[in-house]
Amino acid sequence: MKKVGIVGIGITPFRARYLDKTYFELAYDATKLALEDANKNGAEITHDNLESTVYGIYNELFERQFMPDIFINSYIGMNNKPGTRIASGGATGGYTVRMAYAEVASGLSDLCLCLGVEKCNDCYDEQTGVTTPEVLNAIAYSADMTYEYPMGMMAASSYVSMVNAHYEEFGNPTEEQMAYVSVKNHGNAILNPKAQSPMKVSVEDVLNSRIICFPFKMLDCCLYSEASAALILANEDKVKELGVENPIWITGVSAANTDCFIGNREDMGRLYSNIYAAKAAYKMAGLDYTNIKSQIDLAELHDAFSGQEVISYEELGFVPFGEGGPWIEKTFENPGEGPWLNGELPCCPSGGLIGCGHAVGATGIMSTGEAALQLREEAGKHQVPITKGRAISHSIGGPGAAYAAIIVMTNEEGLKKP
Amino acid sequence: MSEEFQDHQIRDVIKINYKYTMGGQSKFFIELKNNKRLLGTKCTKCGKTWMPPRINCSDCYEPADWVELKQTGIIEVSTIVWYTTSAFIKAIPYGVGYIKLDGAETALLQGIFSENLVPSKIKKGKRVKAVFNKQRDGKMTDFFFVPEDEYDNWISKPEYEGGV
Repeated sequence: MKKVGIVGIGITPFRARYLDKTYFELAYDATKLALEDANKNGAEITHDNLESTVYGIYNELFERQFMPDIFINSYIGMNNKPGTRIASGGATGGYTVRMAYAEVASGLSDLCLCLGVEKCNDCYDEQTGVTTPEVLNAIAYSADMTYEYPMGMMAASSYVSMVNAHYEEFGNPTEEQMAYVSVKNHGNAILNPKAQSPMKVSVEDVLNSRIICFPFKMLDCCLYSEASAALILANEDKVKELGVENPIWITGVSAANTDCFIGNREDMGRLYSNIYAAKAAYKMAGLDYTNIKSQIDLAELHDAFSGQEVISYEELGFVPFGEGGPWIEKTFENPGEGPWLNGELPCCPSGGLIGCGHAVGATGIMSTGEAALQLREEAGKHQVPITKGRAISHSIGGPGAAYAAIIVMTNEEGLKKP
Repeated sequence: MSEEFQDHQIRDVIKINYKYTMGGQSKFFIELKNNKRLLGTKCTKCGKTWMPPRINCSDCYEPADWVELKQTGIIEVSTIVWYTTSAFIKAIPYGVGYIKLDGAETALLQGIFSENLVPSKIKKGKRVKAVFNKQRDGKMTDFFFVPEDEYDNWISKPEYEGGV
Protein backbone atom coordinates (compact mmCIF):
# COMPACT_ATOMS: atom_id res chain seq x y z
CA MET A 1 0.00 0.00 0.00
CA LYS A 2 1.12 3.55 -0.70
CA LYS A 3 1.71 6.07 2.06
CA VAL A 4 -1.20 8.55 2.29
CA GLY A 5 -1.09 12.13 3.47
CA ILE A 6 -3.68 14.82 4.16
CA VAL A 7 -2.72 17.85 2.05
CA GLY A 8 -5.86 19.97 2.24
CA ILE A 9 -8.47 20.58 4.94
CA GLY A 10 -11.75 22.47 4.50
CA ILE A 11 -14.43 22.76 7.19
CA THR A 12 -17.49 25.01 6.98
CA PRO A 13 -18.95 26.44 10.20
CA PHE A 14 -21.33 24.00 11.94
CA ARG A 15 -24.72 25.67 12.26
CA ALA A 16 -28.26 24.73 13.26
CA ARG A 17 -29.57 25.89 9.92
CA TYR A 18 -28.28 27.29 6.66
CA LEU A 19 -31.18 28.98 4.92
CA ASP A 20 -28.79 30.33 2.31
CA LYS A 21 -27.22 27.01 1.28
CA THR A 22 -28.35 23.60 0.04
CA TYR A 23 -26.40 20.45 0.89
CA PHE A 24 -24.56 20.57 -2.45
CA GLU A 25 -23.69 24.24 -1.95
CA LEU A 26 -22.26 23.42 1.48
CA ALA A 27 -20.25 20.59 -0.08
CA TYR A 28 -18.93 23.02 -2.69
CA ASP A 29 -17.83 25.44 0.06
CA ALA A 30 -15.89 22.74 1.96
CA THR A 31 -14.24 21.54 -1.26
CA LYS A 32 -13.18 25.08 -2.14
CA LEU A 33 -11.80 25.60 1.38
CA ALA A 34 -9.81 22.35 1.14
CA LEU A 35 -8.35 23.35 -2.24
CA GLU A 36 -7.41 26.79 -0.86
CA ASP A 37 -5.77 25.14 2.14
CA ALA A 38 -3.69 22.83 -0.07
CA ASN A 39 -2.63 25.78 -2.20
CA LYS A 40 -1.74 27.84 0.86
CA ASN A 41 0.60 24.99 1.79
CA GLY A 42 2.48 24.91 -1.49
CA ALA A 43 0.26 23.08 -3.96
CA GLU A 44 -1.16 24.64 -7.08
CA ILE A 45 -4.29 22.66 -7.76
CA THR A 46 -7.92 23.11 -8.73
CA HIS A 47 -10.79 20.63 -8.65
CA ASP A 48 -9.61 19.51 -12.09
CA ASN A 49 -6.60 17.89 -10.43
CA LEU A 50 -8.74 15.81 -8.06
CA GLU A 51 -9.04 12.30 -9.52
CA SER A 52 -11.92 10.90 -7.50
CA THR A 53 -14.30 11.61 -4.62
CA VAL A 54 -15.43 9.54 -1.68
CA TYR A 55 -18.65 11.00 -0.27
CA GLY A 56 -19.82 10.70 3.31
CA ILE A 57 -23.57 11.34 3.50
CA TYR A 58 -25.58 9.52 6.16
CA ASN A 59 -29.26 10.06 5.63
CA GLU A 60 -31.26 10.37 2.44
CA LEU A 61 -34.28 11.56 4.41
CA PHE A 62 -32.35 14.63 5.61
CA GLU A 63 -31.31 15.54 2.10
CA ARG A 64 -34.72 14.64 0.60
CA GLN A 65 -32.70 12.96 -2.11
CA PHE A 66 -31.87 9.30 -2.25
CA MET A 67 -28.61 9.59 -4.23
CA PRO A 68 -27.31 12.94 -3.02
CA ASP A 69 -23.70 12.20 -4.00
CA ILE A 70 -24.35 12.37 -7.74
CA PHE A 71 -25.88 15.85 -7.41
CA ILE A 72 -22.89 17.03 -5.39
CA ASN A 73 -20.63 15.44 -8.00
CA SER A 74 -22.21 17.68 -10.64
CA TYR A 75 -22.14 20.83 -8.50
CA ILE A 76 -18.46 20.53 -7.49
CA GLY A 77 -17.38 19.96 -11.08
CA MET A 78 -16.30 16.34 -10.74
CA ASN A 79 -18.20 14.91 -13.69
CA ASN A 80 -16.67 11.95 -15.52
CA LYS A 81 -14.57 10.84 -12.55
CA PRO A 82 -15.31 8.09 -10.00
CA GLY A 83 -17.36 9.01 -6.96
CA THR A 84 -18.35 6.57 -4.23
CA ARG A 85 -20.77 7.20 -1.40
CA ILE A 86 -20.30 5.85 2.11
CA ALA A 87 -23.19 5.74 4.62
CA SER A 88 -22.39 4.22 8.02
CA GLY A 89 -24.63 6.03 10.48
CA GLY A 90 -22.88 8.40 12.87
CA ALA A 91 -19.58 6.82 11.84
CA THR A 92 -20.06 7.85 8.20
CA GLY A 93 -17.28 10.46 8.40
CA GLY A 94 -14.64 8.12 9.81
CA TYR A 95 -15.64 5.38 7.41
CA THR A 96 -15.38 7.84 4.52
CA VAL A 97 -11.84 8.79 5.54
CA ARG A 98 -11.02 5.08 5.65
CA MET A 99 -12.32 4.48 2.14
CA ALA A 100 -10.66 7.61 0.74
CA TYR A 101 -7.44 6.35 2.32
CA ALA A 102 -8.00 3.02 0.54
CA GLU A 103 -8.60 4.85 -2.76
CA VAL A 104 -5.16 6.46 -2.53
CA ALA A 105 -3.24 3.69 -0.73
CA SER A 106 -4.34 1.18 -3.37
CA GLY A 107 -3.10 3.36 -6.19
CA LEU A 108 -6.55 3.84 -7.74
CA SER A 109 -6.15 7.61 -7.30
CA ASP A 110 -3.12 9.77 -6.60
CA LEU A 111 -5.21 12.69 -5.40
CA CYS A 112 -8.62 12.05 -3.84
CA LEU A 113 -11.31 14.25 -2.33
CA CYS A 114 -12.88 12.98 0.89
CA LEU A 115 -16.07 14.98 1.27
CA GLY A 116 -18.77 14.79 3.93
CA VAL A 117 -21.95 16.81 4.19
CA GLU A 118 -25.28 16.80 5.96
CA LYS A 119 -28.21 19.18 6.12
CA CYS A 120 -30.66 17.67 8.59
CA ASN A 121 -32.81 20.57 9.70
CA ASP A 122 -34.85 20.71 6.52
CA CYS A 123 -36.86 17.97 8.23
CA TYR A 124 -39.82 19.67 9.87
CA ASP A 125 -42.40 18.35 12.31
CA GLU A 126 -45.72 19.97 11.44
CA GLN A 127 -47.42 18.84 14.69
CA THR A 128 -44.95 20.57 17.04
CA GLY A 129 -43.82 23.28 14.61
CA VAL A 130 -40.12 22.54 15.09
CA THR A 131 -37.50 20.49 13.29
CA THR A 132 -36.06 18.17 15.96
CA PRO A 133 -38.75 15.47 16.38
CA GLU A 134 -38.81 14.96 12.61
CA VAL A 135 -34.99 14.90 12.43
CA LEU A 136 -35.05 12.25 15.17
CA ASN A 137 -37.67 10.30 13.25
CA ALA A 138 -35.57 10.39 10.08
CA ILE A 139 -32.71 8.97 12.17
CA ALA A 140 -34.92 6.40 13.90
CA TYR A 141 -35.54 4.72 10.54
CA SER A 142 -31.95 3.49 10.94
CA ALA A 143 -33.11 1.25 13.80
CA ASP A 144 -34.34 -2.25 13.04
CA MET A 145 -37.73 -1.49 11.53
CA THR A 146 -39.45 -4.73 12.55
CA TYR A 147 -38.49 -5.25 16.18
CA GLU A 148 -37.02 -1.98 17.49
CA TYR A 149 -38.42 1.09 15.68
CA PRO A 150 -42.01 0.22 16.73
CA MET A 151 -40.88 0.42 20.38
CA GLY A 152 -40.01 4.11 20.00
CA MET A 153 -36.30 3.43 19.70
CA MET A 154 -34.20 6.46 18.80
CA ALA A 155 -30.58 7.55 18.97
CA ALA A 156 -30.61 8.63 22.62
CA SER A 157 -32.47 5.59 23.93
CA SER A 158 -30.12 3.33 21.99
CA TYR A 159 -26.93 4.92 23.38
CA VAL A 160 -28.35 5.31 26.87
CA SER A 161 -28.96 1.56 27.02
CA MET A 162 -25.25 0.90 26.80
CA VAL A 163 -24.37 3.71 29.20
CA ASN A 164 -26.91 2.43 31.75
CA ALA A 165 -25.58 -1.11 31.40
CA HIS A 166 -22.05 0.21 31.96
CA TYR A 167 -23.26 2.06 35.05
CA GLU A 168 -24.88 -1.09 36.41
CA GLU A 169 -21.59 -2.94 36.00
CA PHE A 170 -19.07 -0.35 37.19
CA GLY A 171 -21.03 2.31 39.11
CA ASN A 172 -20.07 4.94 36.55
CA PRO A 173 -20.45 7.17 34.64
CA THR A 174 -22.56 8.97 37.21
CA GLU A 175 -24.80 11.83 36.13
CA GLU A 176 -22.21 14.27 37.50
CA GLN A 177 -19.35 12.59 35.62
CA MET A 178 -21.35 12.77 32.40
CA ALA A 179 -22.05 16.42 33.11
CA TYR A 180 -18.29 17.11 33.21
CA VAL A 181 -18.05 15.96 29.57
CA SER A 182 -20.70 18.53 28.68
CA VAL A 183 -18.88 21.25 30.65
CA LYS A 184 -15.61 20.36 28.90
CA ASN A 185 -16.90 20.12 25.34
CA HIS A 186 -19.24 23.12 25.42
CA GLY A 187 -16.34 25.04 27.01
CA ASN A 188 -13.76 23.95 24.42
CA ALA A 189 -16.18 25.06 21.70
CA ILE A 190 -15.93 28.65 22.96
CA LEU A 191 -12.42 28.66 21.47
CA ASN A 192 -13.57 27.21 18.12
CA PRO A 193 -15.18 29.78 15.80
CA LYS A 194 -16.74 27.00 13.69
CA ALA A 195 -18.66 25.45 16.61
CA GLN A 196 -22.44 25.57 16.86
CA SER A 197 -22.78 25.34 20.68
CA PRO A 198 -20.05 27.33 22.43
CA MET A 199 -21.26 27.68 26.03
CA LYS A 200 -19.91 28.14 29.49
CA VAL A 201 -22.03 25.70 31.49
CA SER A 202 -21.69 24.28 35.00
CA VAL A 203 -22.31 20.75 36.21
CA GLU A 204 -25.50 22.08 37.83
CA ASP A 205 -26.64 23.58 34.52
CA VAL A 206 -26.28 20.17 32.88
CA LEU A 207 -28.01 18.32 35.71
CA ASN A 208 -30.87 20.83 35.67
CA SER A 209 -31.35 20.77 31.92
CA ARG A 210 -34.41 19.08 30.47
CA ILE A 211 -34.57 15.29 30.76
CA ILE A 212 -34.38 13.57 27.37
CA CYS A 213 -33.93 9.91 28.10
CA PHE A 214 -33.04 8.79 31.61
CA PRO A 215 -30.40 9.73 32.71
CA PHE A 216 -29.39 11.83 29.65
CA LYS A 217 -30.31 15.50 29.91
CA MET A 218 -30.49 18.04 27.11
CA LEU A 219 -26.92 19.26 27.71
CA ASP A 220 -25.62 15.67 27.66
CA CYS A 221 -26.68 15.39 24.01
CA CYS A 222 -25.14 16.82 20.86
CA LEU A 223 -27.30 18.93 18.59
CA TYR A 224 -27.81 18.03 14.96
CA SER A 225 -26.04 20.41 12.60
CA GLU A 226 -25.72 21.45 9.03
CA ALA A 227 -22.17 21.57 7.68
CA SER A 228 -19.65 20.11 5.30
CA ALA A 229 -16.03 19.01 5.71
CA ALA A 230 -13.47 18.00 3.13
CA LEU A 231 -9.99 16.51 3.09
CA ILE A 232 -7.68 16.16 0.11
CA LEU A 233 -5.59 12.99 0.31
CA ALA A 234 -2.45 12.32 -1.74
CA ASN A 235 0.11 9.54 -1.95
CA GLU A 236 3.74 10.20 -1.05
CA ASP A 237 4.94 10.83 -4.61
CA LYS A 238 2.05 13.21 -5.21
CA VAL A 239 2.78 15.08 -1.96
CA LYS A 240 6.35 15.63 -3.18
CA GLU A 241 5.21 16.58 -6.68
CA LEU A 242 2.75 19.12 -5.26
CA GLY A 243 5.38 20.51 -2.92
CA VAL A 244 3.04 20.48 0.09
CA GLU A 245 5.07 21.51 3.10
CA ASN A 246 3.13 20.07 6.01
CA PRO A 247 1.38 16.82 5.08
CA ILE A 248 -0.24 14.92 7.92
CA TRP A 249 0.25 11.22 7.26
CA ILE A 250 -2.50 8.74 7.93
CA THR A 251 -0.78 5.79 9.56
CA GLY A 252 -3.70 3.78 10.91
CA VAL A 253 -7.26 3.29 9.68
CA SER A 254 -9.66 0.74 10.97
CA ALA A 255 -13.34 0.17 11.44
CA ALA A 256 -15.55 -2.50 12.95
CA ASN A 257 -19.26 -3.23 12.95
CA THR A 258 -20.52 -4.90 16.08
CA ASP A 259 -23.95 -6.52 16.46
CA CYS A 260 -26.63 -3.92 15.76
CA PHE A 261 -28.97 -5.70 18.19
CA ILE A 262 -27.75 -4.61 21.63
CA GLY A 263 -29.66 -7.55 23.11
CA ASN A 264 -27.48 -10.00 21.17
CA ARG A 265 -24.29 -8.75 22.77
CA GLU A 266 -22.46 -10.68 25.41
CA ASP A 267 -22.10 -7.54 27.48
CA MET A 268 -24.47 -4.62 26.89
CA GLY A 269 -22.26 -2.09 28.67
CA ARG A 270 -19.67 -2.13 25.88
CA LEU A 271 -19.34 -0.44 22.51
CA TYR A 272 -17.47 -3.40 21.04
CA SER A 273 -17.07 -1.65 17.69
CA ASN A 274 -14.82 0.88 19.45
CA ILE A 275 -12.57 -1.78 20.91
CA TYR A 276 -12.03 -3.72 17.69
CA ALA A 277 -11.56 -0.61 15.55
CA ALA A 278 -9.13 1.00 18.01
CA LYS A 279 -6.95 -2.08 18.47
CA ALA A 280 -6.66 -2.62 14.71
CA ALA A 281 -5.96 1.04 13.89
CA TYR A 282 -3.29 1.37 16.60
CA LYS A 283 -1.64 -1.87 15.45
CA MET A 284 -1.54 -0.63 11.86
CA ALA A 285 0.10 2.57 13.10
CA GLY A 286 2.60 0.63 15.23
CA LEU A 287 1.11 1.91 18.48
CA ASP A 288 0.31 0.03 21.68
CA TYR A 289 -3.36 -0.22 22.79
CA THR A 290 -2.33 -0.66 26.42
CA ASN A 291 -0.15 2.45 26.35
CA ILE A 292 -1.92 4.63 23.80
CA LYS A 293 -2.51 7.57 26.13
CA SER A 294 1.21 8.31 26.27
CA GLN A 295 1.68 7.94 22.51
CA ILE A 296 -0.72 10.56 21.20
CA ASP A 297 -1.18 14.29 21.79
CA LEU A 298 -4.96 14.47 21.45
CA ALA A 299 -8.09 12.61 20.48
CA GLU A 300 -11.06 14.02 18.61
CA LEU A 301 -13.77 11.71 19.93
CA HIS A 302 -17.32 11.10 18.79
CA ASP A 303 -19.22 12.46 21.80
CA ALA A 304 -22.78 12.16 20.50
CA PHE A 305 -23.76 11.74 24.16
CA SER A 306 -21.67 12.62 27.21
CA GLY A 307 -21.88 9.19 28.81
CA GLN A 308 -20.78 7.54 25.61
CA GLU A 309 -17.61 9.68 25.54
CA VAL A 310 -16.82 8.40 29.03
CA ILE A 311 -17.17 4.76 27.96
CA SER A 312 -15.07 5.49 24.87
CA TYR A 313 -12.13 6.55 27.09
CA GLU A 314 -12.00 2.95 28.26
CA GLU A 315 -12.61 1.27 24.95
CA LEU A 316 -10.02 3.32 23.08
CA GLY A 317 -7.51 2.28 25.74
CA PHE A 318 -7.01 5.61 27.55
CA VAL A 319 -7.96 4.18 30.95
CA PRO A 320 -8.80 0.66 32.20
CA PHE A 321 -12.41 -0.55 32.02
CA GLY A 322 -14.53 0.98 34.73
CA GLU A 323 -12.26 3.99 35.25
CA GLY A 324 -13.68 6.35 32.62
CA GLY A 325 -15.94 8.26 35.00
CA PRO A 326 -13.26 9.09 37.60
CA TRP A 327 -10.84 10.08 34.79
CA ILE A 328 -12.89 13.17 33.93
CA GLU A 329 -14.46 14.06 37.26
CA LYS A 330 -12.86 17.20 38.68
CA THR A 331 -9.52 16.50 36.99
CA PHE A 332 -9.85 19.93 35.34
CA GLU A 333 -8.75 21.32 38.69
CA ASN A 334 -5.37 19.65 38.17
CA PRO A 335 -3.60 20.54 34.92
CA GLY A 336 -2.01 17.47 33.40
CA GLU A 337 -4.84 15.14 34.43
CA GLY A 338 -7.85 13.78 32.58
CA PRO A 339 -9.23 14.65 29.12
CA TRP A 340 -9.43 18.45 29.56
CA LEU A 341 -7.79 20.95 27.22
CA ASN A 342 -4.88 21.24 29.67
CA GLY A 343 -5.05 17.56 30.63
CA GLU A 344 -2.85 14.54 30.09
CA LEU A 345 -4.74 13.64 26.90
CA PRO A 346 -7.03 16.40 25.59
CA CYS A 347 -10.21 14.83 24.20
CA CYS A 348 -12.36 16.87 21.78
CA PRO A 349 -10.29 20.08 21.90
CA SER A 350 -12.55 21.33 19.07
CA GLY A 351 -15.59 20.91 21.30
CA GLY A 352 -16.50 17.60 19.72
CA LEU A 353 -20.08 16.92 18.75
CA ILE A 354 -21.51 18.38 21.95
CA GLY A 355 -19.67 21.64 21.31
CA CYS A 356 -19.48 21.80 17.51
CA GLY A 357 -22.70 19.99 16.64
CA HIS A 358 -23.22 16.81 14.64
CA ALA A 359 -23.51 17.18 10.88
CA VAL A 360 -23.44 13.43 10.55
CA GLY A 361 -21.67 12.74 7.24
CA ALA A 362 -19.35 15.69 7.82
CA THR A 363 -18.63 15.05 11.49
CA GLY A 364 -15.91 12.39 11.31
CA ILE A 365 -14.21 14.26 8.47
CA MET A 366 -14.33 17.47 10.52
CA SER A 367 -12.82 15.68 13.53
CA THR A 368 -10.10 14.11 11.37
CA GLY A 369 -9.41 17.53 9.84
CA GLU A 370 -9.39 19.14 13.29
CA ALA A 371 -6.88 16.55 14.57
CA ALA A 372 -4.71 17.18 11.49
CA LEU A 373 -4.84 20.95 12.07
CA GLN A 374 -3.73 20.32 15.67
CA LEU A 375 -0.75 18.29 14.41
CA ARG A 376 0.13 21.16 12.06
CA GLU A 377 -0.18 23.46 15.10
CA GLU A 378 -2.70 25.51 13.17
CA ALA A 379 -5.83 24.75 15.20
CA GLY A 380 -6.20 28.25 16.58
CA LYS A 381 -7.24 29.13 20.11
CA HIS A 382 -7.97 25.52 21.01
CA GLN A 383 -4.48 24.37 19.95
CA VAL A 384 -3.01 21.83 22.38
CA PRO A 385 0.74 21.17 22.82
CA ILE A 386 2.12 18.77 20.20
CA THR A 387 5.05 16.78 21.57
CA LYS A 388 4.50 13.30 20.20
CA GLY A 389 3.23 14.29 16.77
CA ARG A 390 0.33 11.85 16.76
CA ALA A 391 -3.45 12.17 17.07
CA ILE A 392 -6.54 10.09 16.56
CA SER A 393 -10.07 10.75 15.39
CA HIS A 394 -12.98 8.54 16.34
CA SER A 395 -16.38 8.00 14.74
CA ILE A 396 -19.20 5.85 16.01
CA GLY A 397 -22.84 5.42 15.08
CA GLY A 398 -25.68 3.29 13.84
CA PRO A 399 -28.18 1.20 15.78
CA GLY A 400 -26.62 0.42 19.15
CA ALA A 401 -23.46 2.25 18.03
CA ALA A 402 -22.75 -0.72 15.78
CA TYR A 403 -20.33 1.14 13.49
CA ALA A 404 -16.99 2.57 14.62
CA ALA A 405 -13.95 3.91 12.78
CA ILE A 406 -10.61 5.12 14.10
CA ILE A 407 -8.04 7.15 12.17
CA VAL A 408 -4.45 7.59 13.41
CA MET A 409 -2.45 10.55 12.07
CA THR A 410 1.19 11.59 12.33
CA ASN A 411 3.15 14.74 11.66
CA GLU A 412 6.53 13.18 10.92
CA GLU A 413 8.15 16.46 9.98
CA GLY A 414 6.99 17.89 13.28
CA LEU A 415 8.43 14.93 15.15
CA LYS A 416 11.84 15.60 13.66
CA LYS A 417 11.90 19.12 15.10
CA PRO A 418 14.26 19.44 18.07
CA MET B 1 -23.25 38.81 -4.98
CA SER B 2 -24.05 42.03 -3.24
CA GLU B 3 -27.87 41.88 -3.11
CA GLU B 4 -29.49 40.94 0.17
CA PHE B 5 -30.28 37.22 0.53
CA GLN B 6 -33.93 36.21 0.88
CA ASP B 7 -34.60 32.61 1.82
CA HIS B 8 -37.22 30.36 0.29
CA GLN B 9 -38.38 27.00 1.67
CA ILE B 10 -40.83 24.50 0.20
CA ARG B 11 -43.04 22.03 2.08
CA ASP B 12 -42.73 18.44 0.96
CA VAL B 13 -43.24 14.91 2.26
CA ILE B 14 -41.85 11.50 1.28
CA LYS B 15 -44.34 8.69 1.78
CA ILE B 16 -44.00 5.07 0.66
CA ASN B 17 -46.58 2.37 1.37
CA TYR B 18 -45.49 -1.21 2.05
CA LYS B 19 -46.85 -4.71 2.23
CA TYR B 20 -43.73 -6.02 3.84
CA THR B 21 -42.66 -9.70 3.81
CA MET B 22 -41.63 -11.21 7.13
CA GLY B 23 -40.01 -14.16 5.35
CA GLY B 24 -38.53 -16.77 7.66
CA GLN B 25 -39.63 -14.76 10.68
CA SER B 26 -43.32 -15.04 9.71
CA LYS B 27 -44.11 -17.79 12.24
CA PHE B 28 -43.11 -15.55 15.14
CA PHE B 29 -45.70 -12.96 14.19
CA ILE B 30 -48.43 -15.48 13.30
CA GLU B 31 -48.08 -17.24 16.67
CA LEU B 32 -48.00 -13.89 18.45
CA LYS B 33 -51.19 -12.79 16.75
CA ASN B 34 -53.20 -16.02 16.85
CA ASN B 35 -51.99 -17.79 19.99
CA LYS B 36 -50.17 -15.20 22.15
CA ARG B 37 -47.09 -17.42 22.06
CA LEU B 38 -43.57 -15.99 22.04
CA LEU B 39 -41.35 -18.11 19.81
CA GLY B 40 -37.59 -17.97 19.68
CA THR B 41 -35.28 -20.16 17.68
CA LYS B 42 -32.60 -22.61 18.78
CA CYS B 43 -29.56 -23.47 16.68
CA THR B 44 -29.51 -27.15 15.70
CA LYS B 45 -25.72 -27.21 16.14
CA CYS B 46 -24.63 -24.91 18.96
CA GLY B 47 -27.97 -24.74 20.79
CA LYS B 48 -27.98 -20.93 21.08
CA THR B 49 -31.47 -19.50 21.55
CA TRP B 50 -32.20 -16.42 19.47
CA MET B 51 -34.76 -13.77 20.42
CA PRO B 52 -35.64 -11.88 18.19
CA PRO B 53 -35.75 -15.16 16.29
CA ARG B 54 -33.64 -15.96 13.23
CA ILE B 55 -34.11 -19.22 11.35
CA ASN B 56 -30.42 -19.43 10.56
CA CYS B 57 -27.75 -19.35 13.25
CA SER B 58 -25.41 -16.47 12.48
CA ASP B 59 -22.69 -18.06 14.61
CA CYS B 60 -22.52 -21.51 12.99
CA TYR B 61 -24.36 -21.19 9.67
CA GLU B 62 -26.72 -24.03 10.58
CA PRO B 63 -30.54 -23.96 10.73
CA ALA B 64 -32.28 -22.91 13.94
CA ASP B 65 -35.53 -24.57 15.06
CA TRP B 66 -38.55 -22.80 16.56
CA VAL B 67 -38.88 -23.08 20.35
CA GLU B 68 -41.52 -21.58 22.59
CA LEU B 69 -40.12 -19.26 25.27
CA LYS B 70 -41.56 -18.37 28.62
CA GLN B 71 -43.46 -15.11 28.88
CA THR B 72 -41.55 -14.05 31.95
CA GLY B 73 -38.08 -12.62 32.03
CA ILE B 74 -35.66 -10.18 33.55
CA ILE B 75 -34.83 -6.57 32.63
CA GLU B 76 -31.22 -6.36 31.47
CA VAL B 77 -31.22 -2.59 30.92
CA SER B 78 -33.89 0.07 30.54
CA THR B 79 -34.62 3.77 30.17
CA ILE B 80 -37.54 6.16 30.27
CA VAL B 81 -37.93 8.37 27.21
CA TRP B 82 -39.06 11.98 27.79
CA TYR B 83 -38.30 13.52 24.40
CA THR B 84 -38.46 11.62 21.17
CA THR B 85 -39.26 11.36 17.49
CA SER B 86 -42.29 12.89 15.81
CA ALA B 87 -43.81 9.40 15.54
CA PHE B 88 -43.76 8.80 19.30
CA ILE B 89 -43.82 12.24 20.88
CA LYS B 90 -47.47 11.88 21.89
CA ALA B 91 -46.57 8.74 23.88
CA ILE B 92 -44.02 10.31 26.26
CA PRO B 93 -43.00 9.37 28.85
CA TYR B 94 -42.55 5.70 27.94
CA GLY B 95 -40.31 2.95 29.24
CA VAL B 96 -38.27 0.66 27.01
CA GLY B 97 -35.74 -1.98 27.87
CA TYR B 98 -33.91 -5.10 26.80
CA ILE B 99 -35.58 -8.12 28.36
CA LYS B 100 -34.06 -11.57 28.54
CA LEU B 101 -36.93 -14.04 28.55
CA ASP B 102 -36.45 -17.06 30.80
CA GLY B 103 -34.64 -19.63 28.67
CA ALA B 104 -33.38 -17.17 26.02
CA GLU B 105 -29.74 -16.17 25.57
CA THR B 106 -30.31 -12.87 23.80
CA ALA B 107 -32.46 -9.96 24.98
CA LEU B 108 -35.43 -8.43 23.21
CA LEU B 109 -36.20 -4.72 23.10
CA GLN B 110 -39.75 -4.07 24.29
CA GLY B 111 -41.94 -1.48 25.89
CA ILE B 112 -42.09 -1.71 29.68
CA PHE B 113 -45.33 -0.31 31.07
CA SER B 114 -45.83 0.50 34.72
CA GLU B 115 -48.48 2.24 36.79
CA ASN B 116 -45.60 4.05 38.48
CA LEU B 117 -43.09 4.71 35.70
CA VAL B 118 -39.90 5.64 37.57
CA PRO B 119 -36.37 4.35 36.91
CA SER B 120 -36.26 2.22 40.08
CA LYS B 121 -39.43 0.38 39.07
CA ILE B 122 -38.00 -0.87 35.76
CA LYS B 123 -34.32 -1.20 36.60
CA LYS B 124 -31.95 -4.05 35.80
CA GLY B 125 -32.85 -7.29 37.50
CA LYS B 126 -36.58 -6.58 37.86
CA ARG B 127 -38.79 -9.46 36.77
CA VAL B 128 -41.39 -8.72 34.12
CA LYS B 129 -44.21 -10.57 32.38
CA ALA B 130 -45.76 -10.18 28.92
CA VAL B 131 -49.22 -8.60 28.53
CA PHE B 132 -51.04 -8.81 25.17
CA ASN B 133 -53.45 -6.53 23.36
CA LYS B 134 -56.83 -8.19 22.82
CA GLN B 135 -56.81 -6.73 19.31
CA ARG B 136 -53.60 -8.02 17.70
CA ASP B 137 -52.16 -7.38 14.23
CA GLY B 138 -49.11 -9.67 14.23
CA LYS B 139 -46.70 -6.88 15.10
CA MET B 140 -44.29 -6.18 17.94
CA THR B 141 -46.76 -3.64 19.32
CA ASP B 142 -49.19 -6.52 20.06
CA PHE B 143 -47.54 -7.01 23.46
CA PHE B 144 -45.45 -5.32 26.13
CA PHE B 145 -43.99 -6.13 29.50
CA VAL B 146 -45.05 -5.08 32.99
CA PRO B 147 -43.47 -5.65 36.40
CA GLU B 148 -44.62 -9.06 37.66
CA ASP B 149 -46.37 -7.51 40.65
CA GLU B 150 -48.52 -5.34 38.33
CA TYR B 151 -49.44 -8.18 35.97
CA ASP B 152 -52.89 -8.95 37.43
CA ASN B 153 -53.89 -5.28 37.29
CA TRP B 154 -52.85 -4.91 33.66
CA ILE B 155 -54.63 -8.02 32.40
CA SER B 156 -57.84 -6.91 34.16
CA LYS B 157 -58.03 -3.85 31.87
CA PRO B 158 -60.57 -4.31 29.06
CA GLU B 159 -58.12 -3.82 26.18
CA TYR B 160 -55.47 -6.28 27.45
CA GLU B 161 -55.18 -9.93 28.36
CA GLY B 162 -52.68 -12.39 29.74
CA GLY B 163 -50.66 -14.80 27.64
CA VAL B 164 -50.65 -18.58 27.64
